[in-house]
Amino acid sequence: MITFPHRRSLSLLTSLLLATANAMAAVQSDYYIREEIPLPEGEVMELGSIALMPDKKVAVTSRRGDLWICEGAYAEDLSQVKWTKFASHLHEPLGMFWKDESLWLTQRPEVTRIKDTNEDGIADLFETINSGWGISGDYHEYAFGSTPDDDGNIWIVLCLTGSANAKADWRGWCVRVTPDGEMIPTCSGIRSPGGIGFNAQGDCFYTDNQGLWNGSSSLKWLKPGSFQGNPTGNSYHKLADLPAPPDPKDGSRIIVERKRFPDFIPPAVVFPHGLVGQSPTAVITDQSDGAFGPFAGQVLVGEQTHSQVQRVFLEKVNGLYQGAVFHFLEDFEAGIVPMRLDDDGTLFIGGTNRGWASRGSKPFTFERVRWKGTTPFEILTMSAKPDGFELTFTEAVDPGTANDPTAYAMSAWDYIYQSKYGSPQVDASTPEITDVKVSDDGRSVRLVVDGMVQGHVHQLDTEGLQSKAGTPLWHTKAWYTLNEIPSP
Amino acid sequence: MIRLWFGLMATLAFTASAQDGGQLYETYCGACHAANGEGATGGQFPPLAGSEWVDGPAERAIQIVLHGLEGPVEVSGKPFNLLMPPQGAMLPDDQIAAILTYVRSSWGNSADKVTPAMVAKARAATADRSKPWTAPEILKLHPLPKPESPLRNLTSRVYHGEWKKLPDFAKLTAENVEEEHDGILSVTHADRKDHFGIVWEADFMVPKTGEYIFRFACDDGGRIILDGEVMLEVHGLGPMGGGRTQAAKLTLEKGPHPIRIEYYEFTGQEGISISWKGPDSDDWNELSDTKLKPGRKGPPSIPITPTAKRAAIYRNFIQGTTSRSIGIGFPGGVNFAYSADHMAPELAWKGDFIDGGLHWTNRGVGAQSPAGKDVVKLTSEPALPEGSRFRGYQLDAAGNPTFYNKIGELKLSDAYHASDNQISRTLSVDGNGEPVSILISESHAMGSIDGTAKVMPQPDGTTRTRLSGTMNFTVRDKLTLKVAGPSLLEKGPELYLLLAPGESATLTYTWK
Repeated sequence: MITFPHRRSLSLLTSLLLATANAMAAVQSDYYIREEIPLPEGEVMELGSIALMPDKKVAVTSRRGDLWICEGAYAEDLSQVKWTKFASHLHEPLGMFWKDESLWLTQRPEVTRIKDTNEDGIADLFETINSGWGISGDYHEYAFGSTPDDDGNIWIVLCLTGSANAKADWRGWCVRVTPDGEMIPTCSGIRSPGGIGFNAQGDCFYTDNQGLWNGSSSLKWLKPGSFQGNPTGNSYHKLADLPAPPDPKDGSRIIVERKRFPDFIPPAVVFPHGLVGQSPTAVITDQSDGAFGPFAGQVLVGEQTHSQVQRVFLEKVNGLYQGAVFHFLEDFEAGIVPMRLDDDGTLFIGGTNRGWASRGSKPFTFERVRWKGTTPFEILTMSAKPDGFELTFTEAVDPGTANDPTAYAMSAWDYIYQSKYGSPQVDASTPEITDVKVSDDGRSVRLVVDGMVQGHVHQLDTEGLQSKAGTPLWHTKAWYTLNEIPSP
Repeated sequence: MIRLWFGLMATLAFTASAQDGGQLYETYCGACHAANGEGATGGQFPPLAGSEWVDGPAERAIQIVLHGLEGPVEVSGKPFNLLMPPQGAMLPDDQIAAILTYVRSSWGNSADKVTPAMVAKARAATADRSKPWTAPEILKLHPLPKPESPLRNLTSRVYHGEWKKLPDFAKLTAENVEEEHDGILSVTHADRKDHFGIVWEADFMVPKTGEYIFRFACDDGGRIILDGEVMLEVHGLGPMGGGRTQAAKLTLEKGPHPIRIEYYEFTGQEGISISWKGPDSDDWNELSDTKLKPGRKGPPSIPITPTAKRAAIYRNFIQGTTSRSIGIGFPGGVNFAYSADHMAPELAWKGDFIDGGLHWTNRGVGAQSPAGKDVVKLTSEPALPEGSRFRGYQLDAAGNPTFYNKIGELKLSDAYHASDNQISRTLSVDGNGEPVSILISESHAMGSIDGTAKVMPQPDGTTRTRLSGTMNFTVRDKLTLKVAGPSLLEKGPELYLLLAPGESATLTYTWK
């Protein structure tokens, strides 16, 4: 049945209204081309992993456990793509990369190195590198694996049993698996991950979904030895003689509990539930050095429910990561799970909505996105200052609109840190923008803010802003998580 | 005290403006239930439009929004098995009220509005609940509204007689006449099980002008007369359904239509079913208390089968072995499941390999049983000494697996092939060290020996047997296990293979 979602008719109406107000209203297709990559005929390709291979080949795995290799995914004419089935019916893999002439795969029960030793085009050797964590037989005990870090280690986040219990060893933990097959328990406090990856500095981050002990979904920094907030799997520290993770107070605030427990690393960037998305997934960094647009070095996060890609600016203040999330790409055909961005600027995304619905209405999808070379007018960075925030832009701002404090609005709130599922927005406050200074080149704006609140998410609205060329911002909102306020 | 304060803050944050139920619905609910209320992805998620779950008293819907719902549930006649996350800790009362008011008054739904006070009351009533509802739990507390029967002024007349075809009821005298206020046809209202007939008369209230489809089945026979004309007839004697079901499509005006249903039962089983659907509906409605065919429950079937030239593999949860199981289905209909936890083949079976439907639809909850027959549990304990590690497997061109395990510094390879009615397994140990013991059966009965066997009782009560030739055992009365190997170790009912570095053994499992 073809449906015409209410949401689309609304946004169509909005764009018509905007078009009347300003002929320059920005749309995604002005800047990025999103294309569906044809999938093998008749196959159910609910993608869970993508790996970039030599010779412009791309490997993918499906939730049914099939591993396919695609040739032609970079070509102009996507109708010519060729698919080869490399392996069948592996155990719900979620994380894959190519190294040492092999595909390394994180499956639900293990890390596997997969090779075609007789070179007939079909995998024949499935070497178990490590299977040191427990699985109880519960469908929700997903294992998301990273690409290798600088030491060759794979970081794996192990979802709780049913996302609420810890009925097998190391559920609710992040472990590292070394190239020679040892497992190093690394962080506690995990709930229900959706993806894992590294930022430009090589630090590891994962997304955790709203639920028990997660007031809202967020991007979290896996600092080795840290506690990530959900105490359900705490007791497994005994298996490796590690110190006991924090035992936080139910119904408190993260800012309160983390001051009691220094190992409790707060979410780097909170994605306010509903406003930003509902299920964050893949974590990748734009290492394309400009080939994918003006956001080099920033983190991109997949969003399953809203079928989007969000953009994250990270900075470190007083030893903790924090930063802002912005809306970025949207209208994908299914809920996004895996993503990979090639250095040449081709972004591959895979989608599925089996079991968890998405705005994109197809059951599964494989797509690519490329930058058209036109720079969108966007907030590039949002950094905390002792007395406010500094924004930088992809293009010079119009000083007329940018100098007017009423072009900006700010609100702030927190979430309850609790064992219940999610949290309302609480402790609302309204920081006041008291002064604005536009830099000489127009590329940055200093906001002086009265009433910033440590620990709160700060939502910035910049609907009144225009570029020097008269273009409104493509995306006008930012959400900054203020874990620390920098010292003057 | 602190809880109160949090509650107050939430109230302050959200009562400033009236809530927009439609917008809140799109933000928090629309991804799964779809903007049009029909369930996302063409109905893979439960619909709210026309759903009996959101109709009637609001408490049931409020409770589900507050605490979520998990497990199997039927909505508008369709089975689902998903998890709706609880929203109660995130959404305040006025937002839940606004969302439910929107849902209950959109897409053709027309139920009363929901107030924040109703949500607050429901929240307080189940404040201690920490788990999502299951469908049976919530339905026990808040049953679904019974759909109103379109049959008004229904009467039933019961007749006695031995008919093998439709009699002329107009010439007969009824034994009993009743008014049926619930508007439901039921053959149980007759005073006997055999040799009777019933005539029902009513006004069929057509809700909307349009095209209607009727399906009629009965055991044994009967007919439906609508607006004075015979619409459907089932002749003679026989069971309900199958090829005897009759169907008709016709256009009806809104309003009452006289309907007369004549029915007779000779002997044996009895029943009647009249199901219908109107314009704008995919769902069948039933006029009787007998369902023509219960809706199919459980996942669809997606058989996984080997090809003529290559074995099939299936890594997922297989019932009867451990969570790290690897199923292998050979061409020719013999199969086994290897446990990577216990480093042993733990199940063997014949016939079909396995069905992917359970794990490959919805969220893939549970363990799948082997699809075939003659399932034999071989062992259920770790087969190798403590500290051994599973190292993976290699598949040959025919998909035959060789599993690898590390036992200290030794490497064990364990290769499988199949032929008609049997699986053979060759184990060999490489490296330097002491012989290793490998569990091969937990319940065996001594069989015959071909060749010579030197039996050496040990001081610890075990028995070592040095073999030259083969030894045959029976495993769980279903399999013959033939061992061609150097040495065996028996510990009570447990049987171990003893392999020194450089040695190998072949085990053949044959179904009796």
